[in-house]
Amino acid sequence: MNEMGAAGRRFARGNALEAANLAPEAAAHAQRQRLALADAKARFQKQNWVGTVALFAVAALFPVLPGVEGWMAYTVALVIIYVIATQGVAVLTGYTGLVTVGHGGFLAIGAYTSALLTKHYHTELITGLIAGGLMSAFIGCLLGLIFLRLSGAFMAIGTLGFAFFVGTIVNNVNLFEGREGISLPKNRILIWEIGDVGFYYVALAVFALTTLLVYCLVRSGVGRALMALRDAEKAAESCGINRVFYRTLAFSLSAFITGLAGVLNGHIVRFIASEVYADIWYSVDFLVAAIVGGSSFLMGPLLGGIFVALLPFFLEELRELAFILKGVALILVLMFAPAGLAEVFGRPWRAWRRNKLERVRNDGARVSRASLDKLTKLEAR
Amino acid sequence: MFGQQVMSGLATGSLYALTAVAVVVVFRNTRVINLAQGDFAMIAAFLGIVFLKNFQLNYYLMLPLVILCSMLLGVLVERLVMRPIADTDWLTLFTATLGVYYILHGVAGWVWGRDTKAFPVTFDAKPISVFGTLVSEGHLFNMAWAVCIGLVLFLFFKYTKQGIAMRAVTDDPETAKLMGIPVRFIVLLTWAMAGFLAAFAGILLAPIVYVSPEMMDEVLVKGYVAAVFGGLYSIPGAILGALMIGVAENLAGGYLGAHYKTATAFAMIVVLLTFRPKGLFGIQARREI
Repeated sequence: MNEMGAAGRRFARGNALEAANLAPEAAAHAQRQRLALADAKARFQKQNWVGTVALFAVAALFPVLPGVEGWMAYTVALVIIYVIATQGVAVLTGYTGLVTVGHGGFLAIGAYTSALLTKHYHTELITGLIAGGLMSAFIGCLLGLIFLRLSGAFMAIGTLGFAFFVGTIVNNVNLFEGREGISLPKNRILIWEIGDVGFYYVALAVFALTTLLVYCLVRSGVGRALMALRDAEKAAESCGINRVFYRTLAFSLSAFITGLAGVLNGHIVRFIASEVYADIWYSVDFLVAAIVGGSSFLMGPLLGGIFVALLPFFLEELRELAFILKGVALILVLMFAPAGLAEVFGRPWRAWRRNKLERVRNDGARVSRASLDKLTKLEAR
Repeated sequence: MFGQQVMSGLATGSLYALTAVAVVVVFRNTRVINLAQGDFAMIAAFLGIVFLKNFQLNYYLMLPLVILCSMLLGVLVERLVMRPIADTDWLTLFTATLGVYYILHGVAGWVWGRDTKAFPVTFDAKPISVFGTLVSEGHLFNMAWAVCIGLVLFLFFKYTKQGIAMRAVTDDPETAKLMGIPVRFIVLLTWAMAGFLAAFAGILLAPIVYVSPEMMDEVLVKGYVAAVFGGLYSIPGAILGALMIGVAENLAGGYLGAHYKTATAFAMIVVLLTFRPKGLFGIQARREI
């Protein structure tokens, strides 16, 4: 009996060979149990993937459903753009723990970069996306370096200052044409012109790419380094995580994603004016969306973005009451789902998953108990 | 010209200071960055109109009533919204105050409408000469009030039992609790003080800008910047920051153009934070391993 326990512990510590020597049968069972667990985990992950892919498939079919018109696709595309921008904020605020109230600035940088390229050099949308994203990432990198020592509320006010700075520049520098704005021609992908539905697919594709980017980031060493810096900065640093590098990287990636959203936002409306992009409420709304949705969940920005983007849409006729309801809804979400909507919606899923894992574990335990009985019988003989 | 710009800058700065001090007081006792501070003031200004116009009250009879209502509003927000979520991180608290901001905006727009209203009490536009510079009567009046309030606050924090208890809670809430200080009551008092300061900010600002739900938005942002400028923990720092921002942006507005007013305040704060990441008088965290 004791040997069995010792074997299990040894096995858990990774000394499979040692465990096998102590009690071969138990070690084999432990191995089998472990394989079963890994298998179950893989199955769940596959289901997770199935869910995500199904979500995108439904979204892809949306414009061709009967009764769906161009303007609906346009509206949904706007929401998707909102969600992409929120993903950018989530990378910084959720995974890295740096609160930003300045991502409206990156939205503006992406939008203006692409708009100016389109206006002066007649570029098409994909070039615009790459250029806008990279430009935004570059500025994000610089900002990350400037704000290297800030944290908490100080970071919030610093990034807010950045948003104001960008707003002042686009308002007053002639190149950006201030309030008169820049009108853009019809959108083109390579050589083909696209309409509302085509643009919807572009937005969806970008959303899929950014989701994949965030997914890979979070599950990679880089993501773990960011989260380690968020949870325990000094401990992470003492483990050899380069704070300067990872913080700047997080800033750049976050700015890149929001910059993409900015490019899309400029091109979908086909008109860019400082009135829209100098508005700091964008920045605040992105932060709210990230927090409400749950900024450290993959699907958090989706739920939060929908919450923030669609709430005024549904409440438009109510006017002043809409403001009150928005505030009440925000406070209620914070009271009852402090980790975000994604956490609440994911609760039954995670509970089910936990139960299933538990069952697998119990099965394993039952099997090993049976083998234990057999073993004791053998020894008694 | 220069002296005049500085004087009116100081006057605007003293109004920013009222908001900045409230932001600091609330932040250091509760970790809450209160975005609804401006809206407390906005509600106070609207209440001022109601008392003056609908009830035909005298200015000095209206003032205590408005202060009382405003303090009540602060206490209400603390009890209904902030206390249930007091244990969460500062970002959640910050977002919750944004929710309060939306609600108060909506209520004001609903009850009093979106369009701007003139405040019944106005000042003579005729400037008065002080030490050779021309200052408008309204600005002088506001500065006098701000100085009075500053003095009251100083005396409160220095000599009254509640003020000392408040400072104790700022320094170390745990120890303060163990020493028998009713921390919950002190937190309540903190929010009441935020309401008190907001009442003055609203009433004093109302004759200068017209009264509307958005009247305080800009002042709130500047007050917040000023609070961060001073380091978020220091009241003198917040006042100094507010005055500096008021003067700097007035000079920028005078010499560069009105567009650059807000940008100046933010340029100042970004430059300061780059070199002193915890503000002017903030507690500089030592980086130790």
